[in-house]
Amino acid sequence: MIPELGYFSLTLAMVLCVLLFIFPMWGAHTGNLRLMRAAPSLAVGQFIFVLLSFAALIYASLTDDFTVAYVAHHSSSTLPWYYKITSTWGGHEGAILLWLVMQAGWTAAVALLSKSLPWPLRARVLGVLGFLAVGFMLYTLLMSSPFDRLLPYYPVEGRDLNPLLQDPGMIIHPPLLYMGYVGLSVSFAFAIAALLTGQLDNLWAKWSRPWTMAAWGFLTLGITIGSWWAYAELGWGGWWFWDPVENASLMPWLVATALLHSLAVTEKRGIFKSWTVLLAIAAFSLSLLGTFIVRSGIIVSVHAFASDPDRGMFILAFLAIVVGGGLTLYALRAGHVSSEGRYSLFSREVALWLNNILLVVATLIVLLGTLLPMVHKELGLGSISIGEPFFNQMFSYLLVPFALLLGAAPLLRWKQNKLKQVAGKYGLGVVIALVLTGAWLFSSFAKVSALTFMATALALWIIVMSAQDLLQKTAQAQSIKRLGLSYWAMQLGHIGLALVIMSVALTSAYSSERDVRVMPGEQVALGGYDFRFDGVKVIRGPNYTGHAGVVTVFNEGELETVLHAEKRRYDIGMQFMTEAAVDAGLRRDLYLALGEQLTGGAWSLRIYHKPYVRVMWLGGILISLAGFIVLFDRRYRRRNPKEAQA
Amino acid sequence: MNKKWLVLTPLAVFILLCAFLLKGLFSDPRELQSGRVNQALPAFDLPDLMAPQKRWTNADMAGQTYLINVWGTWCPTCLAELGYLTELRERGVTIVGLYYEQGYDPDFGDRFDLTALQQEVRDMLARAGDPYQFNMLDLDRQFILDLGVSGAPETFLVNGEGKVLVHHTGDVNERVWRAKFAPLLGE
Amino acid sequence: MRFVFVLLALVFAVSASAVEEKYDFTNDEQAALFTELTKELRCPKCQNQNIADSDAVVAKDLRDKVELLVKEGQSKDQVIDYMIDRYGYFVHYQPPVTPATILLWILPGLIVLGGFAFIILRQKKAAQKASWSERDEQQLQKLITRYKRKESA
Repeated sequence: MIPELGYFSLTLAMVLCVLLFIFPMWGAHTGNLRLMRAAPSLAVGQFIFVLLSFAALIYASLTDDFTVAYVAHHSSSTLPWYYKITSTWGGHEGAILLWLVMQAGWTAAVALLSKSLPWPLRARVLGVLGFLAVGFMLYTLLMSSPFDRLLPYYPVEGRDLNPLLQDPGMIIHPPLLYMGYVGLSVSFAFAIAALLTGQLDNLWAKWSRPWTMAAWGFLTLGITIGSWWAYAELGWGGWWFWDPVENASLMPWLVATALLHSLAVTEKRGIFKSWTVLLAIAAFSLSLLGTFIVRSGIIVSVHAFASDPDRGMFILAFLAIVVGGGLTLYALRAGHVSSEGRYSLFSREVALWLNNILLVVATLIVLLGTLLPMVHKELGLGSISIGEPFFNQMFSYLLVPFALLLGAAPLLRWKQNKLKQVAGKYGLGVVIALVLTGAWLFSSFAKVSALTFMATALALWIIVMSAQDLLQKTAQAQSIKRLGLSYWAMQLGHIGLALVIMSVALTSAYSSERDVRVMPGEQVALGGYDFRFDGVKVIRGPNYTGHAGVVTVFNEGELETVLHAEKRRYDIGMQFMTEAAVDAGLRRDLYLALGEQLTGGAWSLRIYHKPYVRVMWLGGILISLAGFIVLFDRRYRRRNPKEAQA
Repeated sequence: MNKKWLVLTPLAVFILLCAFLLKGLFSDPRELQSGRVNQALPAFDLPDLMAPQKRWTNADMAGQTYLINVWGTWCPTCLAELGYLTELRERGVTIVGLYYEQGYDPDFGDRFDLTALQQEVRDMLARAGDPYQFNMLDLDRQFILDLGVSGAPETFLVNGEGKVLVHHTGDVNERVWRAKFAPLLGE
Repeated sequence: MRFVFVLLALVFAVSASAVEEKYDFTNDEQAALFTELTKELRCPKCQNQNIADSDAVVAKDLRDKVELLVKEGQSKDQVIDYMIDRYGYFVHYQPPVTPATILLWILPGLIVLGGFAFIILRQKKAAQKASWSERDEQQLQKLITRYKRKESA
């Protein structure tokens, strides 16, 4: 009964969303304020019904209702309760329902927090969001309902959640990522509404900015956690593989990052308007495209999601309508938008233009690298693979101008600058970065390659220039308090990125690994540590059994830690899973994965020593924080800017 | 004027992309192009699975057009296609089996039991049909690697000059035979 | 106490040398080349994994082959060509340069150059707009907004 109520509740939500699309759009078109005023209540209403629907699925999962096909395929009675909850987004149908919850939530949030917007704009933003929700709800109700029953023949036990997904990282990773993807739909809705209203101005940018910032913050955090999950769970110590699924999340992130910077210019200087709108459309389009790539099975990926051409067709049609419609509107309206404002070649405006170009090129590289193998094959030219060597090479090239610019730009003022005023600071920055890098790398590592040196120096250059800028700004502003939160967010984001660059450079260059056959009592040396294999013990979890290899780690004879690297076999499905043991530290991670049992009581064991790998996720978290603290900036908290002006 | 065209570009690029995505939706991403087609069959010198003292080389098959079918008793798809392959044999197609033994791994110190394997093969072929003229055993999988085989079943069509005409991954059935093999045999 | 540990370490240092490497190379360059190659070669059977991380039989065979070829002293390109010869370009994560894949390098380059040219043109145009001041712009925007509001009300 409860699952049927869930389905019914979703149907009601869809009816409300259809109204949410029609009423405000028609009202804005005809100038009917009453119709427009219906939008916020409809938005809140549909959120409540979607939430009820989601609660129904969680209930079905928690009560082990295996008559529900989705629960039977993605859960089991032995699963711990928290994984029963997360199993509701561990499969395709549930993941799309989670997407809907997010979509409905963002829509309700916009409805409640946009009171200061003029009605025509507010109504259209909500109308566009309503339209997007209708598309996803139709898809769920018609082609991918998680509430379908397996009656009259249903299993007594479920097939269990994929063991790869039974991990804390997986509890939070998809919701965060979806918060980001769906959040970008708000930027998209603002862009479309602005094009429809014809009101592309500073105020529009100002309203759109906090929403974009929040979405981008979630996306950053989602990608960071995803990378950490892959590292902890896949058992080979990798943190980024340029897999289509990872690329699908990176593309919207890159464009959203460009969008943030471009929005800043549009808000402060009233220029770049039509470009900013295009970025807002592109960011959400790439989120949708990413979903299509992941969900349609069009591209071979390590994350094998069930694929179904009918579902693929629906998403593709929806993609074509939403993105095609958005871009058509853009082609019709953006030609008439003109940007005014003077700036010299040596100005913050130009620096931000360059930032946007480099980010867009980075997106293009990821897009081409992800889709070209498919196009290449469709053209009859044969199968090719595009992976790590290609992406790493291209991103190393891009990194140089990008990082140089990133360090230099915050010191520039709007409109125009004199080289004399900044040249000294730049020179000092270069010298400090080079000296620090040299001193650090040559004292810590035996071999320093040019690439590692360059990347580390660029990261330090960003940090040094951020520090210089901070000193200068505090001197000018008299007190640290007077610098706005937006400024701190910028600093945090830039330093976070510098940490990511540094970590990637160092961990790529100095990670080492050994793949050995060990007998109990034997000892292996790696990265200055000694690993003593003490044998294996049998382990028994709630829904798995397995072996744990016990390894005692010594650092120059001193006991460092004892690690348990597990090899689990899940009871249902008999799948083997490597559960790596990690001794985490800021300066290095020690990572152990237990392999197969060999003859004569020996085991195969993989040991990794990964310097500074953790700094990468720390950097990612700092970057995402930047997106969140901006929301508390006084500028965005003021409820009604027009009243304040008057 | 200039700007009008500029704002149209994103839409044009997107439409082109959609066309490819639509086409890609209906093709199998796992289907790969082989590196071996239209090249000479690599050299082999392998023992017969049933009578290991007998060795087979390229010379034994010179002048004949035939299929090489890579298979194993561990592979369910192979079992499924045995019936159709037997039908082909009855229609006069020469099929040579190349046995893919995947359990054997000298690194694990495994001992390989030939007699047991022969019995297993005999049972399976008696049950599902025997399409093979003979079977070769490639225990160290070197010839299998030279052929660019990534799993089982895979089937090669080799002509009288020893050239590989087709490399098919997955099971052979009537549809696949008509589309990929028959045209090259002039059937 | 520390002394005991050092002693222990010494005892174990003897056994440490007895540990058997799965892939045992006599020199470091070959070991590094092996690691690099197994990360760049793609498992032909798997979803999307390199041969270093895959447990598939074919990935293991390819690893063993790479080990053998590297020990024979073959160069990186020779090993890659050996694999491409058998498994096609699909097996290498670095795409070959073909009329279609050349886009991978040309398009980003063109956009960078085009973008820079666009910025310079745009900036020149912007610099010329001397007669239009910031205040004019603000006034215009106010007028537009007021007009729009009337229209929609």
